[in-house]
Amino acid sequence: MRRGRWNLGTWAAYGIALLATLISLFPLYWLFVISTKTPREAFETPPQLLYIPDFSKYFQIWGTGGFADAYLNSIQVVLLGVGLTLLVATPAAYAVIRFRVRGVRYLRLWLLLAYTTPEFLFVIPMYVLYQQLGVYDTVIGLAIIYQVFAIPFAVWLIQSFLGEVPRELGDAARVDGASELQTLLRVYLPLAAPGLAATAILVGINMWNEVTIALSLTFDEARTVQIAVAGYRGYAAIRWQEMAAAAVMAVVPMIIFAGIAQRYIVKGLTFGAVK
Amino acid sequence: MTLRARMRTRHRDRGSRFLVPAVVILGLTSVYPTLYSIYMSFFDWNWGQRFNFVGLQNYVDLAASERFRTALWNTIVFTVSAVSVEFVLGLGLAVVITRLRFGQGAVRTLLLVPLMVSGIIVSVIWKVMLDPSVGIISYGLQLLGLPRMGFLGDPAMAMATIVLIDTWWQTAFVFIVLSAGVQALPVEPFEAAEVDGASSWQRFRYLTLPLLKPAILVVLMFRTVDCLKVFAIIFGTTGGGPLTTTESVQILAYREAFKTLNMSVSMTTMVVFAAFALLVLMLYQRLIPPAEVEV
Repeated sequence: MRRGRWNLGTWAAYGIALLATLISLFPLYWLFVISTKTPREAFETPPQLLYIPDFSKYFQIWGTGGFADAYLNSIQVVLLGVGLTLLVATPAAYAVIRFRVRGVRYLRLWLLLAYTTPEFLFVIPMYVLYQQLGVYDTVIGLAIIYQVFAIPFAVWLIQSFLGEVPRELGDAARVDGASELQTLLRVYLPLAAPGLAATAILVGINMWNEVTIALSLTFDEARTVQIAVAGYRGYAAIRWQEMAAAAVMAVVPMIIFAGIAQRYIVKGLTFGAVK
Repeated sequence: MTLRARMRTRHRDRGSRFLVPAVVILGLTSVYPTLYSIYMSFFDWNWGQRFNFVGLQNYVDLAASERFRTALWNTIVFTVSAVSVEFVLGLGLAVVITRLRFGQGAVRTLLLVPLMVSGIIVSVIWKVMLDPSVGIISYGLQLLGLPRMGFLGDPAMAMATIVLIDTWWQTAFVFIVLSAGVQALPVEPFEAAEVDGASSWQRFRYLTLPLLKPAILVVLMFRTVDCLKVFAIIFGTTGGGPLTTTESVQILAYREAFKTLNMSVSMTTMVVFAAFALLVLMLYQRLIPPAEVEV
């Protein structure tokens, strides 16, 4: 951005950037280290810097304690939840950008409110309702309640992607006799497909990482991966290494997905408010 | 009437049917439970046979509750501290990173990583690192000749430690959003200021800050409402303790509902707290210029 010599300021900036990066990444590296050392090495002081990684804890937890079940539950919740979100939020976003629907201002406000409400305001009543309906501790129940943050997030994001499609294209399709639904499916969606994929990834990461709601609305059958990780705290002693291995398995796929959707993350983080 | 205007009028109302599924699902997951919570806050219900109309008694009890006041105070202390620290660090980093000649993109990507970690896993990581006997941080303090510290187990330090953990987790949010804002700043005013001999502090104070104001307000709004909701990183580390030194309102509501089964008390707590959060959100909404930022 700026021309000129490398001065003290530039070196200082590199120093700060390096420090910030180390602080950001070291804790995750350490989590990995704890999970791949033998029990004797793990908490040795001074810590052994060079060691042969031992992945036996990973196989061990995958085979016991229902961790694999919880992992698969989370995958199901994410697939079902994200599918529902896209199905519902895409037409809503289309309506917001294409029609002058009355009260769009209030709709936006409602979305913001639903997105920012402290969870227990709706979790506790939903716990009561879910018990009555028999969807407590089910994957479907969780996928539905997750819409409360996923729909606002997705409508906002998808709306900004659909908004980038030139309006004339949509109008032309209408003149050619396409219905609004056809216009959305044939004109807008293909052009906004990368944005939709990014939305799906970001919503999926949010659902995968969700803790508060999953803790309250699942027990055993639909226990998610996050709750399973928390479960290694046990009553008597914390099983550090198992917990670390479980955490690594839960976090690595999210980092990979985030890498894929990286370009869109800023938009996603702020509800599309900052372009 | 142009073709476009005619089509808009014709389809004005047909557009609403595209909104129906979203409105129905959001109605079920946000409006229904909110109304139910408000309704139940007028009753005394403990998830059993006891179900009596008590009028405003729950609210009176809440106002008198020492524990609720502590939780609300803890939540506010946490929010103000975490948002301030994260804002200063995030803004500083956003400005500093633009001075890098190469590698800006790589640094941004790497700094983003903590945001992709769930609250529970953040707790796991920091519990391991901060453990007074086996944690790497205790070992580091020992190397530096400093005394061992209790961190999460010490009533005097627990809240500060939670703020520190949140700072590690969420500073990147402030950084990445403001970083996008800094990159989008126009070049000309800065060049003019440089020619006029403005110091880098003056350029920051009188150009960067005012130009970033809309983005700054959006960031502060999202961080504030998010911090008010704090749950997972407390649940995963201290559970609200030691004593009630880190008990946030959401931790308290969880305990009331699922540990002591005071369902109506818990719902009253959340109705009052959500109203408080709403007020904070509305204050931010008034500050954010609507033309520049569509929220």
